Amino acid sequence: MTASTQDAGEPEVDFDVVVVGSGPAGSVAAYRLAQAGLSVVLIERGEAPGSKNLSGGVLYGRVLDEVFPGFADEAPVERRITRHVTTFLTPDSSVGIDYAGRALAEPVNAVTVLRARFDPWLAGKAEEAGVFLMPGVRVDSLLTETGPDGATRVVGVQAGDDQLRARVVVAADGVNSFLARSIGLRRKEPTNHMAVGVKAVVKLPRGVIEDRFGVTGDEGAAHAIVGDCTLGIGGGGFLYTNTESLSLGVVLRLDDLVRSGRTAIEVFEHYSQHPGLAHYLRDGEIVEYGSHLVAEGGLAMVGEVATGGLVVVGEAAGLTINSGLTVRGMDLAIGSAIAASDAVAEAVAAGDVSAAGLAGYRRRLDASFVMQDMRTYAKAPAFLERTGMYGAYGELAASIFEGVFTLDGTPRKHLTKVAWEAFRRSPVRARQLVSDGWAGVKAL
Amino acid sequence: MNVSTQTWIVVADDPAVSGLVTTARGLGGAVSAVVVGRKSVADSVARAGVDEVLWLGEPGDGAPVEAYAGEVARVLAEAGAAPLAVVGATTPAGRALLGAVAARFQVPVLAGLRGATLEGDAVVVERSVLGGIAERRVQVVGGPSVLAVAAGGVTDEGTAAAVREVPAQPLGAARVTDVRVKEQTGVDLGAARAVVAVGRGLKAQADLDLITDLAAAAGAELACSRPLAEGVDWVAKERYIGISGQHIAPELYVAVGISGQLQHMVGVRDAKVVVAINSDKAAPVFAQCDYGIVGDLYEVVPALAAALRAGS
Amino acid sequence: MKIVVAYKWAPNPQDAEVAPDGSVDWSRAKGAVSEYDPVAFEAARQLADATGGEVVGLTVGAASVDSPLARKAALSRGLDRLVVVADDRLADADGTRLAAVLAAAVRSIGDVDLVLAGDSSVDVAEGQVPMTLAGQLGWLGMAAVSGVTPSADGVVVERDLPGGITTLALTGPAVLAVTTDAVVPRVPGMKDILGAAKKPVEVVPLDALEVPDVVAATTLSGSRPETGNRRGVIIDGADASSAAAELVAALRTARAL
Repeated sequence: MTASTQDAGEPEVDFDVVVVGSGPAGSVAAYRLAQAGLSVVLIERGEAPGSKNLSGGVLYGRVLDEVFPGFADEAPVERRITRHVTTFLTPDSSVGIDYAGRALAEPVNAVTVLRARFDPWLAGKAEEAGVFLMPGVRVDSLLTETGPDGATRVVGVQAGDDQLRARVVVAADGVNSFLARSIGLRRKEPTNHMAVGVKAVVKLPRGVIEDRFGVTGDEGAAHAIVGDCTLGIGGGGFLYTNTESLSLGVVLRLDDLVRSGRTAIEVFEHYSQHPGLAHYLRDGEIVEYGSHLVAEGGLAMVGEVATGGLVVVGEAAGLTINSGLTVRGMDLAIGSAIAASDAVAEAVAAGDVSAAGLAGYRRRLDASFVMQDMRTYAKAPAFLERTGMYGAYGELAASIFEGVFTLDGTPRKHLTKVAWEAFRRSPVRARQLVSDGWAGVKAL
Repeated sequence: MNVSTQTWIVVADDPAVSGLVTTARGLGGAVSAVVVGRKSVADSVARAGVDEVLWLGEPGDGAPVEAYAGEVARVLAEAGAAPLAVVGATTPAGRALLGAVAARFQVPVLAGLRGATLEGDAVVVERSVLGGIAERRVQVVGGPSVLAVAAGGVTDEGTAAAVREVPAQPLGAARVTDVRVKEQTGVDLGAARAVVAVGRGLKAQADLDLITDLAAAAGAELACSRPLAEGVDWVAKERYIGISGQHIAPELYVAVGISGQLQHMVGVRDAKVVVAINSDKAAPVFAQCDYGIVGDLYEVVPALAAALRAGS
Repeated sequence: MKIVVAYKWAPNPQDAEVAPDGSVDWSRAKGAVSEYDPVAFEAARQLADATGGEVVGLTVGAASVDSPLARKAALSRGLDRLVVVADDRLADADGTRLAAVLAAAVRSIGDVDLVLAGDSSVDVAEGQVPMTLAGQLGWLGMAAVSGVTPSADGVVVERDLPGGITTLALTGPAVLAVTTDAVVPRVPGMKDILGAAKKPVEVVPLDALEVPDVVAATTLSGSRPETGNRRGVIIDGADASSAAAELVAALRTARAL
């Protein structure tokens, strides 16, 4: 564990950089920092990367292609999206606009990934580059000191009885970022917009998926679904193909959902049993499901992303875009990781990891597609037309998740009949879902 | 290897061999026993329905039964043609004898036995694997079928087979210096006639009182599904039913607020009557029960406890 | 004293999917140190610390048992070094074959006084491999070991047996399978994991070991366990009292009470 840039007179560090969280943001940041010659430890609270992640999503892959050229040939991606379909549902019909073309696949535009497979691959690339991967460790707090300039700066992390000191800590600890909040980088007051996402992974044979969605080989389809799929609640649905499963979900405006008096589970039930989708889902088996509170602060949420000794990347920095139909985050996470790793490497090389020294991260982020897209979607996101403020977030979350927590078991049934019951009968994960949900609420 | 029709049971100082004898008898041929331990155990086994008993002599100098495992394997190997099958118990000492036998013949030990029959001249074994989540029909070609089964009880068939003493030399690696009788603090769910188990349908630990009251009314032991023992620690781990927990076969099993995941239900698949109480009518447990009540456990459980008390 | 801890890197069947033909899909289950083995690591560490000995971790299995993650997971729990036999020819190996490879590896490590193991594995859950390993080595094998402590001329072994708590004086080589409550295993901290990366790992090729031929069982067919073949009488619990009375009556008729 030799710190490669250790100079005489500087405080001793265990690593140049501690990265907390081995999702796409953390792993890519760790990888690039190691490539830059820094000593890096990547700490993950799960027993392995990906183990805390439900299902997966669509990854807009061009940004990852910059880091790992041709990654889609090597990484465990599910399918390359060659058909984008927007489906309008009425109670008894559906109309689709279908854009298909192999051109979408080369170079890689969008792929579907299952995080339980994809995250370990990314972390493995970081490990190959020399990153020290440290799973099974929950970071309790940031270590801080007052620097020569009188400002508080982050100098490492504490987990249990152990401390690790570093020049820079990269907080990649996800949407509820405990680290960013603990140092005051994430706002504690409620933001205007929240959504609840409900997602299930539905197992189907490969050939069946290809027949139903009109794709072959490694091609896949992504469906955005609007209209009568959310019982009139603001939001929409998605359905996309993995290799041997489908990812099915809805994203619901929280204020609208509450106003409707319905639960997210009811809406998901309606959606998953909709006649317009039956053709795709028939005989499928739910093998995984989850619910996620999405804090969608948009640009307002991305206030500060760096302070002395600390940068915040990915969802931890509030970098998600809720288009109203899907929640986009992985490509933004990777984009922010690129910006952050360049800035951190530069700051460490220059010997200035103060807030000013790390300010290059925000400049790079602003100049990248990440903030450009954040700004684009901030102007007119259909999903965010109306705003709502809510006082009692606890009650709110309780009403949304009611029934999720108190039931037991794993679903093993045919989807078209009982998708929602299956969703409600949570396996062990439901407990995490509770705590994640609450943490999400508290974060706002 | 020339395999005979001879089946052996291997006994580790425990007269409870009915499970071993039943399995061995089911294979048709002659059944001999190799007994490690006290003469009284050899005499008891001789009356349990076997054709012959080889006894390795009174254990001397505090040698544990496991110290004779290699000698048991040697006796079988030197007994003539290789056995058709060797049956032992899944007890700690039983597994040690079976391990030595398996190593001697370099064949697998087949546990999780649900049945073993002779088809032609081969033993076909039905077994549960991976803690019970899957089943396999298997056979071993080229060596004896080594079977690990539940020991069963002590039986007396009325007639005694001959007991022949065979000299044996135990390993001298260990000597028993003390045996103290255990205080009965443990839970024996396996012996319970009725078991009431609770799952994630329970909202708070304090509500366990409802379930213990129902268990008391039913004369049952308390048990739980995995999340309550390992997720939240509301119930002792010894009371968890499922693949890595207890596998039980009570007369009555009542599953309260348990959805009926396969990993749980394999633990009670041999229960005689299964009752399910769950608020979710689509819970898989209702497809795996004899009687089910669809309703709120917070109403049904007290009502059921009252009904049981009223009738008794 | 040189102590080998034979451990297993295995997935948890809790996360497996079982098809009607009994085939098992492990794709959602991740490998980990089998849940009873950390107790063996800890017991070995405490014994070695008390006697000035060495603890050598040993695992055998498919190539996947030797990932960097797997190495750290084992080495951060109190081992001095690790010996690994990782070969995809062992992917479907049964317990007797694994025991044969373990025994060959123990012999190749040399001068081993004691082998500790968890009483059962998370995936197979039959508690047989340690006892078969003892058979392969020609050593004393004892399961249900609830305590291992040093003594003047060897080791004191405590066992939780049906006949009572049994204490033994151990002087020769043995394979001991320890129960989950023998000691409280450590939770590796950051320094343990960092330290793990500095510890030596020896990868032993399968072909470098003298492993006897082992007969494998032939699988004829598979199935998913039948847990659904029951009466299936469903009572509406809207009126809890009448539902309870109906159930009690039915149970009495079925002689279940």
